[in-house]
Amino acid sequence: MPSSHRLQHKSSFFKSIFALLFIFSLVHLAPEPFSVSSPFSVLGNSSTAYAQEEEEDDGLEEFAEDDEFAEDDEFAEDEEADGEETSAEGEEGEEGAEEEDDSWKTDIGPAKDQVIEPFSFMGLSNRKFTWAAAQMHILFASFILGCPMFVVIMEVMGARRTQGVRKAIVLSNVFLAVLIGVVIGITGEIIVGIHHGVLYGLWACAFAALIVSFLNYFHRLLNVKVSATVGAIFGTLIAIPLTPVEHTETSGIILAIINGAVGGVLSNMIMFAKSDFKFERLAHEITKVIGMCYSFTALTGGLFLLVMIVVYNDFITYLLGNFPVLFMVAYPTLFILETIVMYVYVYSWDPLNQQNKKGRHIVCGVVLNILGLTLLCALDGPATFMQTPPVPLDKLGEIGEWSKIATSTWMPLNYHRLVGNGTFGGYMVGIIGAYMYLWSTKQEEKEYYDWVGYMGNIIGVGIMIPLPAMGYIFVREIYQYDATIGMYIMSDRESMFMLVQGLLVGTMFSASNIYMWVSMKRIENAQRFFPAMKFGFILIVISATIWFTPRRFFATMMPEPGMNPDMVLPDNLAFMALMISKNTAAFALVTVTFINYVFYTIATKTGKVHYGKINPLGIYVLIFLGFADIWLMSWMGTIRELSRMNWHVYKVFKDITPEKFAPTLAESGFHVTTIVWTFFIIMTATIWLAIKYPKTSKKPAIPASTAPQMAE
Amino acid sequence: MQEKTFLQKAMKIVPISLGLVAIFWFGSAALGLSSAVQQRLCGIVLVVMTYALLLAIPKTEFKEKTFLQNLKIKIPVFIILAIVIWFAAGSMGFPVWWQIQFVAFALVGLTFFILLDLRKMQPEKGQGQAIIRLIGTYALASFIFITVTAQLPQFDPQYELEKLNKPPMKLTGLAGPEVIKAGREIFEANKCFNCHKVFWEGNSDRGPNLGTKQIGLYSEDYIKEQILDPRVKQSPGFDDPKSKKAMPTYYGDDISDDEMVALVSYLKTMRDPTHMPVEGKFPDQWTWWDDAQIIEEGKVVFEGAEPATEGLNCAVCHGAAGIPMMTGALDFRNENQPDTDKMPDHLPDVMLKDWPDGLWYKRVTRGVVGTPMAPWGMIFPHLYLWKAEAYARTFHDPLDKRAAKRPVPPVPTKEEIESWKAKELFLDPLL
Repeated sequence: MPSSHRLQHKSSFFKSIFALLFIFSLVHLAPEPFSVSSPFSVLGNSSTAYAQEEEEDDGLEEFAEDDEFAEDDEFAEDEEADGEETSAEGEEGEEGAEEEDDSWKTDIGPAKDQVIEPFSFMGLSNRKFTWAAAQMHILFASFILGCPMFVVIMEVMGARRTQGVRKAIVLSNVFLAVLIGVVIGITGEIIVGIHHGVLYGLWACAFAALIVSFLNYFHRLLNVKVSATVGAIFGTLIAIPLTPVEHTETSGIILAIINGAVGGVLSNMIMFAKSDFKFERLAHEITKVIGMCYSFTALTGGLFLLVMIVVYNDFITYLLGNFPVLFMVAYPTLFILETIVMYVYVYSWDPLNQQNKKGRHIVCGVVLNILGLTLLCALDGPATFMQTPPVPLDKLGEIGEWSKIATSTWMPLNYHRLVGNGTFGGYMVGIIGAYMYLWSTKQEEKEYYDWVGYMGNIIGVGIMIPLPAMGYIFVREIYQYDATIGMYIMSDRESMFMLVQGLLVGTMFSASNIYMWVSMKRIENAQRFFPAMKFGFILIVISATIWFTPRRFFATMMPEPGMNPDMVLPDNLAFMALMISKNTAAFALVTVTFINYVFYTIATKTGKVHYGKINPLGIYVLIFLGFADIWLMSWMGTIRELSRMNWHVYKVFKDITPEKFAPTLAESGFHVTTIVWTFFIIMTATIWLAIKYPKTSKKPAIPASTAPQMAE
Repeated sequence: MQEKTFLQKAMKIVPISLGLVAIFWFGSAALGLSSAVQQRLCGIVLVVMTYALLLAIPKTEFKEKTFLQNLKIKIPVFIILAIVIWFAAGSMGFPVWWQIQFVAFALVGLTFFILLDLRKMQPEKGQGQAIIRLIGTYALASFIFITVTAQLPQFDPQYELEKLNKPPMKLTGLAGPEVIKAGREIFEANKCFNCHKVFWEGNSDRGPNLGTKQIGLYSEDYIKEQILDPRVKQSPGFDDPKSKKAMPTYYGDDISDDEMVALVSYLKTMRDPTHMPVEGKFPDQWTWWDDAQIIEEGKVVFEGAEPATEGLNCAVCHGAAGIPMMTGALDFRNENQPDTDKMPDHLPDVMLKDWPDGLWYKRVTRGVVGTPMAPWGMIFPHLYLWKAEAYARTFHDPLDKRAAKRPVPPVPTKEEIESWKAKELFLDPLL
């Protein structure tokens, strides 16, 4: 064969191979369009199938049962290829329809004839069962996502400043700065109205922390004030170009400067803080509880999903079908990764300490937090999709999955839950401290757990201070999306629910202040602040009264039969019930608490604190606080869920079950209390098993918290 | 150095604080800040002053008290305080439920202060006591939350369920009153009461009171436009940025065509034959008598130049300058003109300056028998007739010479509204 021919032959051979590969890839590798672009196809297909069944009835079943006909693969393939054509022909004549019928493809078998009866477990309401499962899941999830945020910082505070730890601190400082920057930034954005305030806050604080920590690592910038200045300058310089605004306004620059300074100060303080082993011990003990609670999070999550499948199967199918990538890929991946990192974090604590690799453990903690927060944000997507699905609603099938996640309330809910989880975690630390104080018999143990309770309260109150602002941001977005939901919450069937919320917030701030008061009695020379603090309590009671004052004392927007229409504030006094009064009251509550905290801090710095000698009342106040916080969290979850009214997905997927109405305040209050009791019973057992039980062992136990032995 | 006495410290704190209060008070007034800001600034200074004074109190031994000792001192204080709060709130106009609320919060304050001064709790004698106290704490918290949620006002879910189970509204086969009734349901279902009152009903002043504003005087198209595109024209007095964006813009999507017809029919009933329409946001309200814009528009109607009332020209008889052009025509320049004696319902001793709004309305809409004053209300939209009346008054009571605005009439009660129909004050049989 001539060489030219051979070459030509060879060339055509490769061409054929290439063409075959191309065709193969076209057929097998092209993404299927239905999953992302048209989530409705899932529902659409099933409903079409049911429609066919109804229309074609018995005649087609005969075809479906005809084995010979069904097993004819060749015929089936032909039919698949000519699907459209045959269905068109089918309309022309009966004979054609009989020949080309393909209903057997969609016939699922005898199951189609089986009617699933509505099920109720032991007579419990299905909604309440779902409600309980969901809230239990959220409560455990909040604990395991909230606590690691400050656990990792506590671990840093308790770690000796080896080189590895100092490297890790650079990372943890940036992580902390991101959280703080976002919170300060979003508060500035909402309260002061600074455009893209959250970005100014985020970038300025994060980069200030990065630069200052980096310089601190090399023992530069030792002075706190200089660190603040450098952080403010460089944080602002980086934040301004990174924030996409047309005109940089002075307010934005000031916000960036504040955030930069905060980032710089925090980084310097953390990097050069004297390590206190109490923090290491506390972080480790909480981590043990987190480890156990992680299993409960998964269990209750599974329970929730199973209950949903039994009770609301059509809705859960619809919801999951709208987020195929999230629920099939992203969520499982994140969940598995978080599980791995979580257990590595829990179980590598002592081994890494013994190997003097604390820095690596801290990095693991930061990674755990990043995964946890990503998971939180990911699942807030479907949650906010249910509340504020992207408009126009008739085009939902045409938008991508990301658009369904990034709804108008997605980021506000992320902020709200981020801060809420932190508060939750803080008060749970208070509970842990209180329990362990009660269960301890040795004086040194009591001293330590008294301090833990103090830390829990500080964290809880500290993080709770921006919480009202975050709630405001969330509700504001809801109002902007559809004021009807906002009205339902604030002025209609949930108005009394919100009144209870106000009462709870007032109770929590009050209880926190009472705890501080009781704690200060065990500090020498602290009584000089008592007259001023008592004045603060008067302000707290007045503020709580204003916060609670409603416009009307009937539970709906307009009085319904049986309600007293006279229970309305007269017009000239209506200002007492308006947001301006509520905001002033909230501001006063926060400010008084902050002032009392300042007194407390000054007292601890200038007088000796007799840890372990706290008035037992303080311990029970801490427990009360934790219970109130978790009750409030469940209550707010209830309000958010009920605010969709009779919709699973607001104005998209209607709840047509018998329980589509809003339950009464009394019923909700009782149910939430039972949920919180269940949570606390499990948590009590968990805390005992994770912390107390190992201490009761008679054998000489391996030191629970092995301190790093030597510098690297 | 000898520490200063409380008096010495107070002599410094108080003058400085009061000086700051004076500066803020007059400074904020000079800068044109609102009185709310002014009061807040001064309030903050006074609070800071109180804190400073309390911190200046010389250190004294804090004395804890037993529960009974606490009660002995605090109960009398609480009783006096409760009485003061009760009567103060009552005199300010707070209804009894709010008086109860305020006293209840005073009780909460009493509890706080008992806790603050309470003698140190005895440590637990054993794990048993700790468990009892622990459960007691949870029980107390649960008791409070369950009791509060059970005792606060409740609703009956049945009413919501009934509304949810109602089939979508169809107007087919419905007659006038039924359509109006259906419109009322749409009004409620869309939570319009959240911002709008309808005469005495509702409890929010976020938007105009559609009853006293008499939205029913306006055309159906205008009302529909205000619902579908509320940003086009803002109601007078609601021009602040918050009010401008308060009315949602999605009702076009939410309300079906049938529902819109019913809703507009209901809104068209919102009229008051006894009073001029009222504009403005509570408490800064005014009637059309004092509305320069309305008077301007009324002049156009009065002089026959308003296209919507083509054929109506008050000036033909009453004179463009108020000088009657026809014998017997009312002279609007004379404030002491009596009512016509040609009508059986005339008010003999009431002069023009004191005519009730209802009389103006009646004479214009129903006319005067045996005179060229026709029942204009049968021919022209009443919206324009009210405007023309607002202008007519200016002949004897010029707008620029008025010392004060006419008082805004009290909101009509349910009984008054029902009596309008009984007395046949409206021309429209459906009203």
